[in-house]
Amino acid sequence: MTATAERPQATIFKRPSSTEGIWSWLTTVDHKKIGIMYGYAAFFFFLLGGTEALLLRWHLASANSEFLTAGAYNAMFTMHATTMVFLFVMPASAAFMNYLIPLMIGARDVAFPRLNALSWWIFFFGGIFLYSTFIFGTSVAPISPDGIAGNLAAGGGPGSFNWLADSPDGGWFGYQPNAGAFYSPGTAMDFWALGLQIIGLASLISSVNFIVTVLNMRAKGMRLLRMPVFVWMSTVVAFLLLFSIPIIAVALFMVTFDRQFGAVFFSPVGGGDPVLWQHLFWLFGHPEVYILILPAMGIVSEVLPVFSRKPLFGYSAVVFAGAAIAFLGFGVWAHHMFSSGITPVAQAAFGLATMTIAIPTGIKIFNWMGTMWGGRLRFTTPMLFAIGFVAMFTIGGLSGVTHAVVPSDWQQTDTYYIVAHFHYVLFGGSVFGLFAGLYYWFPKLTGKVMDSRLGKWHFWLMFTGFNLTFAPMHWLGLQGMVRRTWKYAPETGLEPWNVAATVGAFIIAFSMLIFMYNWYNSRRRGVDSGLDPWDARTIEWTIPNPTPEYNYARSPAVTSLDHFWHFKYDEDDEGRAVRKEDADEIIAELEQEGLNPIEPIHLPNPSYFPILMAVGLPIVFYGIIYHTTLWGKLLIAIGAVITLSSLIGWAIEPIEEPHAPQDGGEPDPEPEGVDAGV
Amino acid sequence: MPLKMAASPTRNRRGWMPVSDVAHDAVVDHHEEHESTGIDSRKLGMWAFLSSEFLFFGALISNYLLYSTRAGFDGVYPAEIYDIPFTSVSSFVLLMSSLTMVLAHNAMSRGDQNGTRTWLFATAALGAVFLGGQVFEFTEFIVEFGMTLSSNPAASAFYLLTGFHGLHVAVGVIMLLSLWGISRRKGELSDSQGMNLELVGLYWHFVDIIWIVIFTVVYLLSVPPG
Amino acid sequence: MSTEQHAHPTPAQYWKIAALLGLLTAVEVGMFYVNREYDLGGFNAVILIALAILKFVIVVGWYMHLRFEKSTLTRFFTAGFVLAVGLYLVVLSAMGVVVIRGG
Repeated sequence: MTATAERPQATIFKRPSSTEGIWSWLTTVDHKKIGIMYGYAAFFFFLLGGTEALLLRWHLASANSEFLTAGAYNAMFTMHATTMVFLFVMPASAAFMNYLIPLMIGARDVAFPRLNALSWWIFFFGGIFLYSTFIFGTSVAPISPDGIAGNLAAGGGPGSFNWLADSPDGGWFGYQPNAGAFYSPGTAMDFWALGLQIIGLASLISSVNFIVTVLNMRAKGMRLLRMPVFVWMSTVVAFLLLFSIPIIAVALFMVTFDRQFGAVFFSPVGGGDPVLWQHLFWLFGHPEVYILILPAMGIVSEVLPVFSRKPLFGYSAVVFAGAAIAFLGFGVWAHHMFSSGITPVAQAAFGLATMTIAIPTGIKIFNWMGTMWGGRLRFTTPMLFAIGFVAMFTIGGLSGVTHAVVPSDWQQTDTYYIVAHFHYVLFGGSVFGLFAGLYYWFPKLTGKVMDSRLGKWHFWLMFTGFNLTFAPMHWLGLQGMVRRTWKYAPETGLEPWNVAATVGAFIIAFSMLIFMYNWYNSRRRGVDSGLDPWDARTIEWTIPNPTPEYNYARSPAVTSLDHFWHFKYDEDDEGRAVRKEDADEIIAELEQEGLNPIEPIHLPNPSYFPILMAVGLPIVFYGIIYHTTLWGKLLIAIGAVITLSSLIGWAIEPIEEPHAPQDGGEPDPEPEGVDAGV
Repeated sequence: MPLKMAASPTRNRRGWMPVSDVAHDAVVDHHEEHESTGIDSRKLGMWAFLSSEFLFFGALISNYLLYSTRAGFDGVYPAEIYDIPFTSVSSFVLLMSSLTMVLAHNAMSRGDQNGTRTWLFATAALGAVFLGGQVFEFTEFIVEFGMTLSSNPAASAFYLLTGFHGLHVAVGVIMLLSLWGISRRKGELSDSQGMNLELVGLYWHFVDIIWIVIFTVVYLLSVPPG
Repeated sequence: MSTEQHAHPTPAQYWKIAALLGLLTAVEVGMFYVNREYDLGGFNAVILIALAILKFVIVVGWYMHLRFEKSTLTRFFTAGFVLAVGLYLVVLSAMGVVVIRGG
């Protein structure tokens, strides 16, 4: 007799109960659905950010180009970076964390399912709010003392994309007072500041959720040092978020108050100190870059062992190195300020601290190499991306070490050398790692495998295009090509390698088309994966593909690291893995058991309130931007009412509906009173 | 998250994938959560959140320390116009609200629903008095001394810090009144609402200890520069 | 409600703690006026900060019950506090407010 996962029946309490269609997505609290939504949203923003990059690259392919006006150029590099950092890499990592963490620790969902949905919807509406700057934002040029308007003056023919100039143009780092009220009048930078505020809140809530999930929801026997490295890295990231988001929140409030309410935190005219902004921003900003890379490092730590057919070399060292990177990462922020006038003592201290991060990073790199060494490598698509990660991230890390040497950094800072560095670690690192994860875990999502020929075309084209784009930037920077600068003169001789970089960018774009086609096609017509397509090691592969709604038919009891591997393999006298004779049978039994739970499973109920509450926040923030008008004040009130009443509704909705009895047995006891689990 | 399973005999197939013991205990208490640390998940979450708030208020306090010690600004410095007796009284009021909060929690744990309601209301009332004091103080500063958000960076920093603290108090008052309201409507708070009371209490005490720091650092120790 | 093995303080003890907190506050305010009159220099700051720390620890330890909870919670709390103090001290030092050996 098999039982099925139960959906509560409709009752007078009106908690939603759809299992299909758009309503099930709007009210879901299922971590897998939430992860999928994060993933698609992140990918959509990746395409937008990539388009912004292509516009930049097209412009930079010619010296003295007027393809973009100066204002549009500033807006493009601002939005490209803001999009990629906050709207692509972070939510893409969130997608993986949401989908995988409960599976990897043997849980049915996260600790706070509704809060999880809230984080997603806050992010979603926050992203829309930020991008609505392209519709609503204004960026009037400041009037200089002789009465001439600034950035809109140059160029401006029909092809100049000048309409893009009305969006945030103060850099993704919003340096003050340039991005303040006087030098960036209009509403564009307010969309930027408030948009990031909203998105930051989503991350903060999510970090609390994941910390509690990992600490409290582990299956029996899943000790902390038996968890997959990806779970460890995600937990470390959650701590980084927990402690760094509040700092940027304060900084963004200060900017908003400066711009909207007449405060004088950062404007020198009023006595404010621009360097304070830099400290506060980078106090957040540096942990942020570790937030961007650690999940990808976690993914790579999962993929490499599987396709090397060897355990991860030095599991504990990799875990502790990740924690060390995060901890040290809080102590190096002023290395972004070496040329901002900080004292020599500060420069020396931060330079030294920055160099120490190379140590745990190096440990990880050597351990990944040690994992591959002596293994019987299988060059599947995820493996190619993972190996690509190790190589490209190492290059980026090496240029990073050169930045840590202060006098050297004085030459490099604000040049394309820096641009090369962070694209090697963020694209060659994070993006490659994320793609490794997409190909690797695609079967869990869909029950199918992505086409490997197309996958390899994607990888090699992307790898080639990426290196063609960013390698030249090392020497372009050393030759003096300055960042964030609209034009370069032909006599600098910088044009040829800029053209090469542009060609590389379009090759990347083409490779993305191949990927998108592969994704779409494999979902429909891909080869069935079965339970264990990769001969994997960790427990998320012990359940059927695609993942059943309830995850585990029965809660697993874990007895070791790489628990699944030990079902399938014994070790011979020389320590080599030997596949057990009944391994295939075991897999078949797992599939059977996974699809046929024998006990009734109650899943967390869906809810309207996360999406409702999330909608209220951008409304309040639109109101703040227009607060001098009546409409603005109304919007603040309406948004506040929506948020507050959703919060109350959330607090009093019952945590569970009473269920119909199974097989004529006793009905479930009534939930006592109203409940307020989150 | 509730996970209910009917009791079933432990089945041992070839020694692998043993059924977790957690399954059997889950039936007993409807609200038994899976807690590898032995700490209630919501409590753990609240403490994690509160620890992040140190970074939030730390930034605001540092901001004040930076600007309030910087000489040469036009306009009034906050430290020139503090009304220490007044602020001492309102600090005392907030401090006592922590007492009433903890008495509410104590009453709840003893099953005294009436006492819980009374002390909840008292806490909210004291919080409201504190907020009233803040509003009065801000009004005095603006109207009588002309110190606004725009006067100078020290003023901006003062208003942002105390303003956000006040906002936190206001949110706390709303949560307290909500619990009080639920208790009045239903006649009692359930065990789960009791946990919510404890969580609100933790939040409330935290807001109080931030004020302990602010009172000393911003009011008592702050001296106008030069 | 999670069951707790340890006993909470009684209401009477909570009142006593409140009285102590009130007393400490009175001492703080007193110190403020004494300092205004006699200018005790750095000593004033030390005493006032010590008193604030004392009040802080009492509220956290007894009212927030941290003294009796599992150490995990204390670790969270301490981590946030130590990180905040450390980071902001460095920022204030770099901006010239706090002087740390010529930094």
